[in-house]
Amino acid sequence: MTLAQFLQNLLNGISIGSVYAIFALGYTLVFSILGIINFAHGAVFTLGAYFTYTLAVGQFGINGLLSGLNLDLKVPFALSLLIGAILAGLVGVLLERLAFKPLRTRGADSLLALVSSLGVALVIVNAIQYLVGAEIYTFPSQVYGDIKPAMMFEVSGQPVVIRTVQVIIFAVCMVILSILGYLISFTRLGKALQAVAENPTTASLLGISVDKIILATFFMSGFLGGLAGTLVGTSFGIAGPYFGVTYGLKGLAVIVLGGLGSIPGAVMGGIVIGLAEAFVPPDYSAYKEAVAFAFLFIVLLVRPQGLLGRTHIQKV
Amino acid sequence: MDDFLQNNGFLIVTLVQQSLLAMSLYYPLMAGQLSLASPGFYALGGYVAAIIGTAEYFAPWRDSLGWVVFPLEWLAAGIISAVLALLVGIPALRLRGIYLALATIAFVEILRVICLNLEITGGAIGIFGVPQLFDSRWNYIWTFGPLLILMLFFSYRLDRSRVGRAFKAIREDELAADAMGINPTRYKVLAFVIGAVLAGVVGAMSAPFLNTWNARQGTFDASIAYLAYVLIGGSRSMWGPLLGGTLLAALPEILRPLKDSRLIINGLVLVFASIYMPQGIAGALGNIRSFTVRKLGFGGGEK
Amino acid sequence: MRRSVLVTLLLTLCAGTASAENVATPIPIGIGVAQTSNVALLGEEEVVGAKIAEKYFNAHGGINGTPFKLVFQDTGGDEAGAINSFQNLINRDKVVGIVGPTLSQQAFSADPIANRAKVPVIGPSNTAKGVPQIGEYVGRVSAPVAIVAPNAVKQALKEHPGIKKVAVLYAQNDAFNTSESGTFQETVKKMGLQIATLQKFQTTDTDFTSQVTAVLGAHVDLAIVSGLSADGGNLVKQLRQLGYKGPIIGGNGLNTVNIFPVCGQYCDGILIAQAYSPSADPKNAINAAMADDYRAKYKKEPPQFTAQTFTAVQVFVEALKKVEAVTKKKITQQDLGKVREELNKQIRTGSYMTPLGKISLDQEGEIHQENFYVAKIKMDPNGKTGKYVYVK
Repeated sequence: MTLAQFLQNLLNGISIGSVYAIFALGYTLVFSILGIINFAHGAVFTLGAYFTYTLAVGQFGINGLLSGLNLDLKVPFALSLLIGAILAGLVGVLLERLAFKPLRTRGADSLLALVSSLGVALVIVNAIQYLVGAEIYTFPSQVYGDIKPAMMFEVSGQPVVIRTVQVIIFAVCMVILSILGYLISFTRLGKALQAVAENPTTASLLGISVDKIILATFFMSGFLGGLAGTLVGTSFGIAGPYFGVTYGLKGLAVIVLGGLGSIPGAVMGGIVIGLAEAFVPPDYSAYKEAVAFAFLFIVLLVRPQGLLGRTHIQKV
Repeated sequence: MDDFLQNNGFLIVTLVQQSLLAMSLYYPLMAGQLSLASPGFYALGGYVAAIIGTAEYFAPWRDSLGWVVFPLEWLAAGIISAVLALLVGIPALRLRGIYLALATIAFVEILRVICLNLEITGGAIGIFGVPQLFDSRWNYIWTFGPLLILMLFFSYRLDRSRVGRAFKAIREDELAADAMGINPTRYKVLAFVIGAVLAGVVGAMSAPFLNTWNARQGTFDASIAYLAYVLIGGSRSMWGPLLGGTLLAALPEILRPLKDSRLIINGLVLVFASIYMPQGIAGALGNIRSFTVRKLGFGGGEK
Repeated sequence: MRRSVLVTLLLTLCAGTASAENVATPIPIGIGVAQTSNVALLGEEEVVGAKIAEKYFNAHGGINGTPFKLVFQDTGGDEAGAINSFQNLINRDKVVGIVGPTLSQQAFSADPIANRAKVPVIGPSNTAKGVPQIGEYVGRVSAPVAIVAPNAVKQALKEHPGIKKVAVLYAQNDAFNTSESGTFQETVKKMGLQIATLQKFQTTDTDFTSQVTAVLGAHVDLAIVSGLSADGGNLVKQLRQLGYKGPIIGGNGLNTVNIFPVCGQYCDGILIAQAYSPSADPKNAINAAMADDYRAKYKKEPPQFTAQTFTAVQVFVEALKKVEAVTKKKITQQDLGKVREELNKQIRTGSYMTPLGKISLDQEGEIHQENFYVAKIKMDPNGKTGKYVYVK
């Protein structure tokens, strides 16, 4: 492998890895607090992209209840992105109230949250299809202004390329990571969040409103999911109501690899899986999916708590 | 009655089949292990049956054995699943909780991609024209039905046996079980292998039932569906997987008249079932029963 | 709402197949395609085609004056769903024939059910080898790709005679694209060209940087992509964005306007192997009628699956007319079982002038289609809409 090829694979890995990572951030946030997997995260991610699309473009296709509708709101993209993410955050809040809180108050098996969130995911995905069909929707190409579609540089005479939108996603990923890092380490909210994650009972004895912290977490998770959905949508288009759900499986792998509940771990897990896939030789490209999971399987056997996770025994 | 079976035979057999797959997830869960590997073994078993049923190499066998080849397919699927389950289970069952779940999902994915790429499994198209044991879909109840009864009997005996008690001891507290002289690894692997063999045999029975087999049969989505069956049915009762598998698999078909919105309603049912029956259907029925026993004096006071 | 569900349920449970009963009025024809799941993207195109056909042929007198109605039963994306859909159509809705299912894998599962029940099936989009051979009641109007793919390669060579090295990319988890790519690979080798790189992907993939950089690294003169709209469109877009300048051939899966929003301006110039062209033959009146209706409603060109499903319904309608001609009795005065049997025979006789051009089904049920096309995508300056310009 030449240096240029190596660099190219590295960029490819980071490019796809940052998509995995940005998906996994909101996923892992909920896990850090509640210790459960929110299967509806992929659906909220999808929904965020559709919200932004509705605001920024608002032109619907030929299927579903809203077929032929042209809202033409033409809200500027940055504002649409923000509102879309806030709406997704609110859906996150709703999700917590409808599907998670009732289970907690009834002291149900925590695995049951998988089923209720799966149910919510089913509702969201099929409601999207019911309203706007399974068609592909895309954002106009100039949402980020007049940028070049790809960046290219040369290494010892050979070209190395990367798509600009992937650079943007990676940058956003890093910015979110820093903001989250700041929020968690330096603010009252973050301290409270950590306390609840550590031990909810103790936290409530300390006067922290556990309920509010959980709500805030779901809002943040939904917000990040919605934001990520839109960004990924600008890169690849919104390929139907299932477009976020297909990241669910990889996302799960990412957060476990990074260490469950660890926020830097989610980013690192995403990049590591992206790299593992990128370095699969072209002749074996058919086995790419398997390679990522084989890698995961081995990592789990060697280091069951994930790369950045802490050791703790957890019962089913 | 004939007409009813003509209309609903396939669905009814599917409900039995899905219940059996739910059971394959229930046994590891009995020993406290969240294993989502069932779709992998299900897919594997289906391939074994489809390959024995269609490959040129096995033609003389098929000709000379006649219908006996079908039970042999089940046997082969069971044995191959058991061997693979041992190979995967021994290292993987050191993991706990969600980590084990993910390792088993990884196993399902790896298997899926391999099957997608091999020539013998027919690539993306899969294997079609799988020889039939019966003409009518309903008649497949004669393969899945007895297996269900057998497994229910097995569950019943297991529940009351030393092995079953060991499973439950590990589920409640692995360290304590270990201290009491139960070898957790041995029992965990045993529970995993039981589930795998069952899923493999169900797969082998399903290839003729579905006429075709392909890599889409063993997926992550299926893993989650089976888990939902067990949890909604009730993970602490041998009847749970049967109830959950039957009801949840029937739901999209019952809701068929709703057309476009049927899966939205299906999702809502999942949410409400989780909230209002946290112990699963079996748990909820148990509560009603103990209520009637306590308050109304039914049942001769066995509880 | 709940009550009506229960009532329907009870009714359906009580209803049975009487051993001899006549075909209902209006005559029911079943449509069993994917209306939910992630296959719905394809299924929705099919539903639209079926509905246009229902309106069109009923407005033109139905079956010699008797109207027909389409009964839709969702198959979802899986095999069991396809069987359930078919069972419902056959036993409950008592259709004379079925158009469906969407995927070849589903066809291998559900078609044998219809075949055993002696109900004719016409596949609108099953292209895998072996589908018509499932049984005597199974046919299709979706041509396998063996004929159409080589034409596109020839056209590319005509436009760019210097082509030597070729990159072939395909969605390996999709039955259609895998077999189509096989044909492409054979063609490329037969023409003395070299396959410099062979890349596989999944229809669910979105990021293709690895595949694209492998293509760029192989310095190829032609890229051949077999995928579906979302993945294929993204692949083309990323090929262009990352600097691939050579010609691109898209397989039949890209023969849908659904790729325009995905690759936008980058779709421009793709050569597409077409089993259906909305505008290649201006003299084809029925195609013009269908395409105009579609354009008037949806402001874009009809996709291939829409045309193929329209065609499948048309074959049923015309064959039903032939059944009346042969039996000299109204369809609705005849026994359902007999109609299904005779219908299956009549489907396989004569030829049909359809939006796909002139077609016929042979005894096996395989389609024989006269015209295949190669088109080049021409995008409008806005980068959103475009056309397939007929080349050959």
